[in-house]
This record gives sequence, structure tokens and C-alpha cells, in this order.
Amino acid sequence: MSVNAWLKSQRPLAGKSLGLAIWLNTTNGLLAIVQAWCLAVILDDVIFEGSGLDTVAPWLWGLLALFAIRALILWLAERSAFEAAAGVRTTLRNQVYRHLQHLGPGYLADHRSGALVETLTKGIDDLEGYYARFLPAMTLTMILPLAILAVVIPVDWLSSLVLLVTAPMIPLFMILIGSGAEARNQRQWKQLARMSAHFLDVIQGITTLKLFGASRREVDIVARVSDDYRMSTMQVLRVAFLSSAVLEFFATVGIAIVAVFIGFRLYDMAIPVPHWLPVPDISYIQGLFVLMLAPEFYAPLRNLGTQYHARMAAAAAAEQLIGVLETQPAQLEPGTEPLAVTRPLGVRFEAVHFSYEEGRDALKGMSFDIPPGERIALVGTSGAGKTTVINLLLGFLTPGAGRILVGEQDLFRIDLDDWRRHLAWVPQQPRLFQGSIADNIRLGVPDADLESVREAARRARAQGFIESMPAGYDSLVGERGAGLSGGQIQRIALARAFLRDAPFVVLDEATANLDPESERLVQEGIDELARDRTLLVVAHRLATVRGADRILVLDQGCVAEQGTHDALAAAGGIYARMIAAYGESGSDVTDTNPEDDPA
Amino acid sequence: MNELLRLWRLFRPYRSWMIFGTLAASLTLIANVTLMAAAGWFLTAMAAAGIAGVAMNYFTPAAMIRGSAMIRTAGRYGERLINHEATFRLIASLRVWFYQHLEPLAPARLQQYHSGDLLSRIRSDIDALDNLYVRVLVPVVVALISVTLFTLFLYLHAPLLAASGLFFFLLAGVALPIWSRSRGQAPGQRIADDESTLRTSVIDGVQGMAELTVYGATERQAQRIDELSHRLIADQARLASDHGLTQAAVGICTSLSLWALLWLAIPMVRSGQLGGPELAMLALFTLASFEAVAPLPQAFQLLGRSLAAARRLFDIVDTQPAVSDPAGPSPRPERFDIAFERIGFSYPDAGRPAVSDIQLRIPQGSRAAIVGATGSGKSTLFNLLLRFWAPDSGTIRIGGHDIADFSGDDLRRHIAVVSQHTYLFDSTIRENLLIANPQAPQAAIEQACRVAQIHDFIAELPEGYDTWVGETGVRLSGGQGRRIAVARALLKDAPILLLDEPTEGLDAATERDLMRALDRLMTGRTVLLITHRPAGLDWVDQVLVLDQGRELARGDVSVVPKAMAAELLVTAAERATGLQTPAASHSS
Repeated sequence: MSVNAWLKSQRPLAGKSLGLAIWLNTTNGLLAIVQAWCLAVILDDVIFEGSGLDTVAPWLWGLLALFAIRALILWLAERSAFEAAAGVRTTLRNQVYRHLQHLGPGYLADHRSGALVETLTKGIDDLEGYYARFLPAMTLTMILPLAILAVVIPVDWLSSLVLLVTAPMIPLFMILIGSGAEARNQRQWKQLARMSAHFLDVIQGITTLKLFGASRREVDIVARVSDDYRMSTMQVLRVAFLSSAVLEFFATVGIAIVAVFIGFRLYDMAIPVPHWLPVPDISYIQGLFVLMLAPEFYAPLRNLGTQYHARMAAAAAAEQLIGVLETQPAQLEPGTEPLAVTRPLGVRFEAVHFSYEEGRDALKGMSFDIPPGERIALVGTSGAGKTTVINLLLGFLTPGAGRILVGEQDLFRIDLDDWRRHLAWVPQQPRLFQGSIADNIRLGVPDADLESVREAARRARAQGFIESMPAGYDSLVGERGAGLSGGQIQRIALARAFLRDAPFVVLDEATANLDPESERLVQEGIDELARDRTLLVVAHRLATVRGADRILVLDQGCVAEQGTHDALAAAGGIYARMIAAYGESGSDVTDTNPEDDPA
Repeated sequence: MNELLRLWRLFRPYRSWMIFGTLAASLTLIANVTLMAAAGWFLTAMAAAGIAGVAMNYFTPAAMIRGSAMIRTAGRYGERLINHEATFRLIASLRVWFYQHLEPLAPARLQQYHSGDLLSRIRSDIDALDNLYVRVLVPVVVALISVTLFTLFLYLHAPLLAASGLFFFLLAGVALPIWSRSRGQAPGQRIADDESTLRTSVIDGVQGMAELTVYGATERQAQRIDELSHRLIADQARLASDHGLTQAAVGICTSLSLWALLWLAIPMVRSGQLGGPELAMLALFTLASFEAVAPLPQAFQLLGRSLAAARRLFDIVDTQPAVSDPAGPSPRPERFDIAFERIGFSYPDAGRPAVSDIQLRIPQGSRAAIVGATGSGKSTLFNLLLRFWAPDSGTIRIGGHDIADFSGDDLRRHIAVVSQHTYLFDSTIRENLLIANPQAPQAAIEQACRVAQIHDFIAELPEGYDTWVGETGVRLSGGQGRRIAVARALLKDAPILLLDEPTEGLDAATERDLMRALDRLMTGRTVLLITHRPAGLDWVDQVLVLDQGRELARGDVSVVPKAMAAELLVTAAERATGLQTPAASHSS
């Protein structure tokens, strides 16, 4: 859909306020005609009829009333125009964000989050100008000049001829000047999104920059990025200002011609028009009235010129929004079936294929079975497909071929929300969200009481450090868990999974970052968690793997081997070689099981 | 108001821009008023002359109308160009200024800020300052100049008219702005805060979407964003409504001024004190002249938002870095042994010291490991060695020089770090490697990647070293990212190497490859490793075992099992009495 059509199609979101704003502005414009007439009458009476205050007093009072009404209308119009745009902004922000959620983490992996954040915040706000100002201005341009012409023609058709001739020059020139503006504006928006994405990247990676002494170098880059933005913005603005200037010029010329023609006729001088044109006579009151209306005639056009920039800003933002909204989720028709079997849950992969890009298969017909209640470990080198398996299982990706069965149901048909309600997941690098530690543990169960939160923290062995913090569970944490170590963040994420109490648990390196003692404690917690539940553990460390009922060894997108630790170790395949590798690199913790230590 | 003064100092380099911009704006305004006034006079005088049948000089007023029309058009174009150019230059320089103050605070002082909050400051808070220039500073000066001239003009016709005109100018240009400033203050502050919270929530919602999705929290996040969006817009609506009200009020002031003028001047025309054409001129003059004060109420309404933004910026700018650089040049060490001498340190607001009385000597070219549980103080020692924090007591020396004598950047030039958290920038693989050494030729990059065992992988990618790695390295696996970090460290070629759990979270094969790469990297360098895994440390020359910030044992690798066993006994005893594991505590 073209940007223009899209912007117009969102108009209903503005509701009645937009119509009201246009209606109020129109009334205000029409009242300006009445006001001009009142003023002309008063001046004419006083200057040429020699009237005093007593004669013109009624007109003066009328004028006063008019002022008051116009002020009120102006205020209401401003309010409804804002209201109209506000409706569009809130609805769209919600809609676009929800669409992003719908597209899921798979889409986000390919897009700069800084740019998306900019689209959702500043981009949406940029729509305001279009609905609050440009659209009303556009409608007024079609109504008010015609209304004024209709009034001026009977009074002095020569002046209306001048207006009629000069007016079309304005949009004509604006189109000429503005023809390249759209592209420049797009570029400017991209520059802005780039700047924001860059700043977010720099802020999030500033410690790394510092470690390499690159953070000072970054000053130049910040300067360059800001300057690029300035230049592209000024390019856009220069065009906008130039078109305003042209507009202004024509409006001024128009008014001047009207004034000169009226003045010359009042002074009974010949005016430079073809002599076959019968020049109409004009009185002072008529002349003054028309002169005061002339600026009002051009005002909507000039206003439109000013707001044209708002339209372009909105169009640039809209392009980004359309880009998001028109992206279809990978799975066109989301499943609707509720999950049939809930507890315990089993999962089967049947010849599942998946590729991130054409020709590079991540999974090549992978088949395996996770029986209900079992503890399955997934091992393999990086790039073997472990992460892909998990992303498929979580419903972030859909298989290219083959199917994933939950119980006997195809995951493709299952309502993903329902499926995920039965999942708990601890990712490799868990993220903490803005809020308190308790809120973060409650992520999956928002109404859990503090007692259950505590219990979950206890089982994840996180209680100790949380309670030693001055604010305890109410301590505020940010995205990187300000002041918390990797191991502590991991345990908060684990507490999240404990509290979730789901029948199917996916742990991606859940005990990484833990020292042996904490790891042992957490492992105990996991063992407890594994009771009556199905557990899929991605592990690199043999200690974690050993306790599994079955180990799946992935290699190049296939299941290369499976079996228990002992069986696989004896089989002399990939797994056995992996164990040997641990021995070689010397960090096999299975050798230092502290409980076996006689000391 | 203190903020205004400080901002003015930041604006000062743009003084000449401002002077020209203000002059152009004043000229435009005056030309516009002249145009209207002259047109009114001209028309009436022509009509009067026509009726009376007398001759009049219409060339001068006609030339005045033409001239002011041209000045108005050109002036407005020039004024906009100058003032916007100046604003954007100012804004660009403010972003650099802000970054320069932000950079020394990382990472110690920035821990408490969400990146969304900081992004909001460097983006929208700085943008909000443009109001101060284009909408406050310029219009106020223009209004001062033109209102003075306009009042003088009225005074020349009749002092009474000047008094009345001035009264309404002050009403619209002083009283209304004061009112709208007081109304705008609270919403302005709230908008600054809410914009930041909204950004933060959107970043959380976008970057954390996977977890939100699995935990069924997407709906809540969407609601939260929607709620913030509504809250923000509600405050903006208040401002918009007030803006409409003040615009209406300016309109009323204009009208009342005209009305009062007519009321006062009509008797003057009757008494012959004022000519008819003058009356028409003054009437149109009055209508046009209020353009001088019309922008002021909104300017002062937005002052609240701008000052709130300024405060949020100064908050960061005024924060003292955790460590400040010494004045003199940094020492140039000739050897690179490291000595921790009785180091003690507590984080602000922490209950207990993070480390105390730590002693460790690492001879040049040797390898040492610090082992301890999470929260035992290992990372603190790294932070101190990197001069991200400064110790409360004791001295750290490199090659015999106290590291407090080094500037942070100079010190870190001698140190390369490979950590478990490798931040990869949203850029190409090459750019990410060049961070370590911007001048490195392609051959050096490839060599480093070969040693780091990642070259083959990169070479196989369709775009090779120009492959976009994506934000925080989403397209690379953990092991690949870690190897890029090793390559980075190789490119940096620093004599001291810090390893922070470099193999954490890697599978055995990858770990083995990485260790092989690290082995090459460690050759000839002074190496310090921190780890929570006591196993597999045969390759280090000495070990320091930490527990809750204190030394538990120190010596060769053989001390580890004993120390760990002792610690385990304590833990077991605590568990028996129902106490919590001491392994974890605030801030490691």
C-alpha cells in the first residue's frame, strides 16, 4: 500500500474529533469574513461619515462578541485536532507493538532494535502533524478560499479574478519544489533511525569500547552521526522553507495587486488591464472589506504549505510502520487447538527441516523423541543446531518440512499461547526487565504472592543474595541487572522457571556462570523441578548431562547418537570423543565432584 | 533558573548565529507590520483623496508596500534557515558534549541506568533543548525589540494609544507566558520522565521479546506500553489544550487592543486630532503587531519540558566519575608484572566490603588465577585493575607504577580482556575487530582470526568479513562470539591479558579450540584468569582462592582442593543449621 493511501486509511482511528476540528476551523474562517465586514463598516462610518462612538458602538460590541466566539472556537479546534491525532497515535503504537509480538523473536533477530524503538516512539509521534494539522489544513484549503471567493465576487469581481488567477500558482510551484522532497525526507528518517540505533548500541557496549580505548574515538563518531543527521534534516527543511517562501511571495503579490487595483480605483486612476474589460466601480467600504479578506484567502494555502513538512515527516514514519505491519508472521494461520495432553508432556520431532537462509540447512531432517516425564540432554558443538531446536520448540520458528508433535498433536495446529503456558525456559543469557526482583521472578505468574516468589527463589538458590540486598525482593534491577553478577541473574531466571511450575521445562545452559557449590545447589533444585516434569537441557558440561535419562548428540543438523551417558561413552562415537576432549582441555568437572572428596 | 544560566554557557559559541537569526526575525516581523499598516493608510488616503479630488503622492507608500513585502518574504526564508541551522548545530554539539561526559562514567556510575533511559537523554532530552533556542530565546529578543518600536510608533501618534497598546502587549507577552509556564511545569517534567520510561519499556519489550513470549508476559508488556502511551499523550493533551487556550487568549488580547484603540481613537478622529487614514493604518497595524508576542505563551509552556530535559542531562554531566584521571602524563612501564598490595574496596551502599586485604604478585609473563564463588570479589579485582573503580585502601602496581598514576585509557592500553560477555556491535565482523586496532591491515585481522580459530568460519560466510553480526551478536553462536573476542584481544596485542571465564557456556570441542587459541594468545604475556571453576588449572603458576572478598588460600594449584574443601565444610555446617549458602551476595 502506498504511504499516502495508508495514512488516509488510518483516518477512522482519529474518530469524530478530526471532523469536529475541521468543522470548527471552517466556522472560524467564515467568522473572519464577518469580522472584516464589521471592521470595514466601523472605519468607513468614522472616517467618511463622520460618525462618533455613539453611532458605531453597536458594531463595536458586536465585534467584541465575535472576538470572544472566535477565541473559544480556536481553543476547541486545537483540542479536537490534538484529540484526533492522539487517537491515531495510541491505537497505532499498540497495534504495531502487538504486531511485532506477533512476528516474534525471529523477526527481531534480523532488525536493529534501536531503529524499531525509534519507530515505535518518535515515529508514531511524528504522525501527529499529519492528523492534527495537515489533514484539517488540507480540507480547509478546499473550503475557505471558495467561501471567500463567493463573498468577494458580488462585491468586486475584479479582485476575485486576481485571487482566482494567483491561487493555483501556489500549489503548482509547491509541487515543483517539493518533488524531490519525499526522497530526502525518507533519507532523513533513515538517518534518524540510524542515529538512534547507533546511540543505543554505543550505550549498551560502552564498557567494551572502554576496554579497547575506543570510547574516546567514539566521540568523533557521535559527532559525525549527529552532523549527518543535521545535514539531512537541513536538506529537508531548506526545501520546506523554500516552498513556504514561494508561497508567501505569491500570496504577497496577490494581496499587493488587489490593494493597488482598489486604491487606484478609489483615486479614479486608470488601472493596467485590457481596455475591453469593464472595470467595476468600488466604494471605500467595499475596498477595505476585500483588502482585509485577501490575506484570509491565502491563509489556508500558506498554512498548508507550512504543514506540508508535517505530512512528509509522517510519511517517512509511516513507511517504517508499514514495513512492520505488512510483514506476515512465518506461520500465516496460527494454530487454534488447545493443548490436549497437559501433564506430563512429551514431544517428538519427525524429520524436521529448517533453514535460516536458502541453501544453508540448520536442521536436516531431525527426528527424536522426548517422552513425557523424561530428562533429555541436548549436546553438540556450536552450530550443530541446538539453538534452532529450542527456537522451534518454543514456537519462534516453524519447520520448513517435517513436524513437531506435542503428545499426538501437531505443534503447528496448537494455540501457541496455550502451548507456552505449559513451558518454562531459562535462556543462555537471561534478561532482567525494568522493575523489582520480585516482579522479574513473577514474570510468568504475575499474581503470585511473595511467599511463592520466595519459595521459587529458595529453590533456585537465589534467596541468599536477594535477601542480603538492602531492599530485598523490592530491589530495582535493570536490563543487565545492574550490580548483579551473571550467576545471580541466572538464578533469578531460574527462580522464574520454578515459579512458573510448567510441565515442560527447557534449560539452556542453566547452570553456566555458577561456581561449583551454587551449581550443585541449583542442580538439586533442578532435580526437584524434574520430578513429574519433562526436562530438556542444553548442556556443555558433562556434570549436567550425566543425570539425564537420555542424551541426544547433535551434529550438523542431525541427531548423530543417542543413549545414556554410559552407553554413549562406551560406544566410542562423537560423544566419547567429546568426553576425551574435556579430559584434554582439563576442565571436566565430573572429576571434581565435591561430595566424593574425602576432605 | 540555574539551568538556564548553564545552558546559556553551552549556547555561547553560537552567539553570532543567534544575533543574525534574531535580527532577521525582527526585520521580518517589522516588515510584515509595516506592510499591513502602509496598505491600510494607502487605501484610505487614496479614497479620501479621490473623494476630495485632491492630488496625493502615492509613490512613496506604494514603494513602501513593495519593499516591505519583499523584505518579509526574503527575511522569513533567511530567518528560518539561519535559526534552524544554528539549532541543529547546537544540538549536534550538545550530543557530543553529553557523550563526552557520559563516557568517563562507564561502567561504574552507569550501572543504575537503563540503556533506554540514557538513550532517551541523548536523543529526546537534547532535542527538547532546541525549544529553548528557536522558541524561547529568539522570540523573546524579537518581542523585546519590536514591542519597544511598536509602542514608540503608537506614542508618536498619541501617548494614550501607546499606553493602551503596551498594556495589551504586556498582557499577551508577559502575563500569559507566566501563566502557561506555571501550568506547563508539572506536565513537562512528567513528559520527560514518561518518554524515558516508554523508551525503556519498548526496548525491554523488543529486546526481551523471547522471554516475554514464553512466559506469557507479552500481553502485560503491550498493556504497559499502551498505558504509558496514554499517560504521555494525556499530558501532551493538557499542554495542547493550554496552548489552544493561550492562542485564543492572544487572539482576544489582539482584538481587545484593536477594540480599545478604536474606542480611544474614534473621538480623536472626530476632534481632528487624528486623520482618517491614520485610523485605518493604526487598526491594521494593531492586528498585525501581535505577531510579536503570539509565540511567547507556548514558548514558556515548553520551558517546563526543556528545563526538565536540561536537568536530566545535567544529572549525568554532574556525576563524578568513580575514578578520575591524574593530571600528569601516565608512566611508561618497562615491565608488566602486577602487584595487588593489601587491596580493600567496598561498593557504595554495600553492606560489606567486596574485597579486603588482598595481596597478589604476578611476575611478568607468568599466569595466575583467582578462584572463588559468585560474589567472592573476583570481578571486583578486575574492575579495580582496569581502573573502573579505585580501591579504598592499598595499591595496585603494574611494572612498579601505582596504577592511580595512569589515566584510565593509558592503563587499559596495556591490558586486553577476554570475557564471557562479549559485546558485539551492530556492525560488520571487520568493524568489530577493528575496535581493538583501527589501523590493523586485513592481513593482521586474518592472522588474528586464524589464531582464534574463527577465520575458516568467517571465510565460509558469503560476505566474509563484511558479514553483519547484528545487534549484540545475535547471528553468531556463543562460541563464535567468544573467538571473535579472542581475535580482538590478539589484535590489541597488549602485554597483560585478563581472562574472565573465557570458556563459560561453551561445549567441550569449542572450549578445546578456544583454549588452544588462548594458549597462543597467552604466550609471553602476563595473564590473570578469574573463574569459579577450580578444576583444570594446571596451566597457571599460582592461584588465589577468594571467599567473600577475603583470601582463603594462595599458592600453587595444589592449594585449591584443600581450600575448597574447607569452604565446603563451612557451607555444609551452615546448611545443617538451615542457613543460606554464603556463595552469593550483592555485587560480584
